[in-house]
Amino acid sequence: MAFLEKSNWVALVVAVPTLLVYVALVVPQVLSKPIAEVSWVQPMIFTIVGLIVANILGNVVAAASNPSEADKKDQRDREIDHFGERVGNWLIIAGSCAALALAMTRADHFWIANAIYFGGLAGALLSSVTKIAAYHGPFQKW
Amino acid sequence: MVKPTLVTNSIRSLRFASGEMTQADLADRVGVTRQTIIAIEQGKYSPSLEMAFRIARVFRVPLDGVFRYSDEQG
Repeated sequence: MAFLEKSNWVALVVAVPTLLVYVALVVPQVLSKPIAEVSWVQPMIFTIVGLIVANILGNVVAAASNPSEADKKDQRDREIDHFGERVGNWLIIAGSCAALALAMTRADHFWIANAIYFGGLAGALLSSVTKIAAYHGPFQKW
Repeated sequence: MVKPTLVTNSIRSLRFASGEMTQADLADRVGVTRQTIIAIEQGKYSPSLEMAFRIARVFRVPLDGVFRYSDEQG
């Protein structure tokens, strides 16, 4: 397995539990109290930092499992990487547009921050899934 | 992305004709990963013109001795 594919598996495996932890911490509050009283800043920071740290550790472990392949990246890897990023960016843009619309309509900070957060996380997930699919199926740039 | 390539290749038979060269050996000589050679051999990835020339050079054959373009275009 190419290192970039391993790296994307790490991103996928790390992002899903992160998302579930955030949802488990915040959604029960949203359902039981007014939005202004929901404690969402700490869970958001906690899961973002956790996501970054877990990704770094996962990549270190993936690199250590096969050091000779860790710094190898060829043209196909780069093309798959660019393609996956381009697909994932659509959701990040969608999240940003939603946040912009929410800000224009003077929505609570909670909704604006969460639109950006979920857009970013969903974009990263879609990007990883796209890259893994490209590694396994036919991938033609031209 | 999912459209299969019309480019076919003889890399597998050329490897065996070249003293049973492994995919890893070919990858090292072309300067790509073994996974890329596997993807090219299986028709899952079309290499760039430059990479195609590097592969042909390893086997000391012209480009069309390695790659062919199928006539059955839709």
